[in-house]
Amino acid sequence: MFKNYLLLSLKVLKRKPFYTFISLFGISFTLMILMLLTSLFDATLGDNQPLTHRDRLVIVPMLERTRTETDTIMKIDTLATSYDTTYTYEDDIVSTSNGPMSYKFVTENLTKLEEAEHYAFWNDGYHQDGYLDGRKFSFGAYYVNAGYWDVFDFKFLHGSRLNEQDDEGANKVVVITDKAAKTYFGEATASVIGQEMQLGAETFRVRGIVARPLSDSPMFAGDVFFPITRVDQREIDSDDVSGGFGAAFLTSTSGRREALKNELTFLGDNYDMSGVEFYDKMRLFNATFYEGYARGILQEEDGSKALRLLFIPVVLLILLFVALPLLNLVNLNISRVYERKAEIGVRKAFGANGSDILYQFIFENLVLTFIGGVIGVLLAIALISYVNTNDLLGITRLSYSYEVFFYFLVVIVLFGFLSGILPAYRMSRTNVADSLR
Amino acid sequence: MIEIQNVTKAYRTDTIETIALHNMNLSVPSGEFLSIMGPSGCGKSTLLNIMGLIDEPTEGTVSLAGKPITGYNGKQIARFRNEQLGFIFQSFHLINDLSVVDNVELPLLYRKVGGKERRRLALEALAHVGLSNRATHFPNQLSGGQKQRVAIARAIVGRPNIILADEPTGNLDSHMGDEIMDILLKLNAELGTTIVMVTHDERMAKKTHRLVRLSDGERVS
Repeated sequence: MFKNYLLLSLKVLKRKPFYTFISLFGISFTLMILMLLTSLFDATLGDNQPLTHRDRLVIVPMLERTRTETDTIMKIDTLATSYDTTYTYEDDIVSTSNGPMSYKFVTENLTKLEEAEHYAFWNDGYHQDGYLDGRKFSFGAYYVNAGYWDVFDFKFLHGSRLNEQDDEGANKVVVITDKAAKTYFGEATASVIGQEMQLGAETFRVRGIVARPLSDSPMFAGDVFFPITRVDQREIDSDDVSGGFGAAFLTSTSGRREALKNELTFLGDNYDMSGVEFYDKMRLFNATFYEGYARGILQEEDGSKALRLLFIPVVLLILLFVALPLLNLVNLNISRVYERKAEIGVRKAFGANGSDILYQFIFENLVLTFIGGVIGVLLAIALISYVNTNDLLGITRLSYSYEVFFYFLVVIVLFGFLSGILPAYRMSRTNVADSLR
Repeated sequence: MIEIQNVTKAYRTDTIETIALHNMNLSVPSGEFLSIMGPSGCGKSTLLNIMGLIDEPTEGTVSLAGKPITGYNGKQIARFRNEQLGFIFQSFHLINDLSVVDNVELPLLYRKVGGKERRRLALEALAHVGLSNRATHFPNQLSGGQKQRVAIARAIVGRPNIILADEPTGNLDSHMGDEIMDILLKLNAELGTTIVMVTHDERMAKKTHRLVRLSDGERVS
């Protein structure tokens, strides 16, 4: 029976090449875009290294300092019989400054948090030039503490991470990405480990090679990672609370994140500002991974609010994007199925019941969407590799994992099913005598 | 055995009611070859559709093989049609996307018959109508007479007791019409299949056992 349905489906598709082309174009294009979106979503927010522990992550991207002055406001009540005045005192924010934190601030205040299990601090404010055989390469430099490698579980291709001794000794070692290794050494193999790289005026030994992360995040967008203490000495000596460092923490469980966020908020709110010039109040921004992401997109300071604000439009947009071609396909299918009214009548006259007809047309539609889906996948793979090869999305590279394929399969089946069910149902209920008239 | 008792068929719209059949009674014994004649719009095809369970009477009962068809659900009626009835239409109604043999197999698709057995029975039916050499052709490659022969093969492949033919020779020239008529007569004589045929052609009707005439939805002879 299915063989018969399949053969018939293919013949029907061949019979109307233009219709088939329009349908396939709609399906494959929509599915390609969906696959790209899923892939982008997976690369950015998925369970990928170095963010495998993202459900336990709390990020402190920056602190905010404010200066407030107490204002005296005088109000005169002109209706009163006697001349009367009221004075109120209100805090008025006169100046605000946002930015990353200083080395001293993070190492002195953010290393004794009760709820944090691991601490990552990094400075991403520098570029470092690499030199080899008269050639010059520009690398994004990250200065990171040893805990950074616990919080962000980079995929090590070769060699090993930096450790506490490297921080203490300000050792001249680096971890580099595979891309940086290929750029500098021409290869990202084990033979690179232990080799020297001239970076700026000094020479560093390669300790490890990590796979370049799929997504673009200011937390790990570097090419070369140095021990934190190799950062410019002025950063280390600065007494200011603001500087060039970001921080992230891992809690023991995802349920403890809120407690850590409260701890951080409390720490900021109650920070002794006597040593801080000009400003008198501090706020420590903190966010979970998704909140941080939404915050970045919406430029909204409150991470959880940003996540709520972002969620609904994104879901609506995706639904709309799927619904429009779906409705279009339903429409095309209705006219396609109507053309075959007589065939349905004949089938019914010879013993097909309503569900036989229903299954046949849903099956045919699944065949159509499957073909469209395969074309969509091929297009998406081609586009993904083009995007990745040419770094069109910056550091973010799209992936086509099994998960993406799985979601994709679900979408194809849903698409085929939903766009086929209504026309098929209508036709399955057709009166035989009417169809054969 | 087909038994039509007090059957009335009315088509209703919001404003008009058209009576296609009025208080019709007809009995067709097993093995009979009956022809139905009458002017256009007299209700011949409606009667045939009601006998074939592809249309429902507004009033009255239809009994097939001794069983009154009342209270049957869609699935039961579909199975009954599949096992007991074969249809031949004036405009053939072959599925152009399927080969001749696939068209003939169609009724067997809705029975639990394996692919090989289906093919064997379909080829056998095609042999019966003299079209074995056209099995892999497509309907559009055939002449009108050949198409109708394929339709007959499709109607007999499931070995139904009753064949309902709606002007089977109507779209054919007289030579091809005779050929088709011969096949139907042979079927009736050799296999004992009950055949009810609607026709406009007096010459064809005379070859059958009995002729029933309709006019304005009623039996006149």
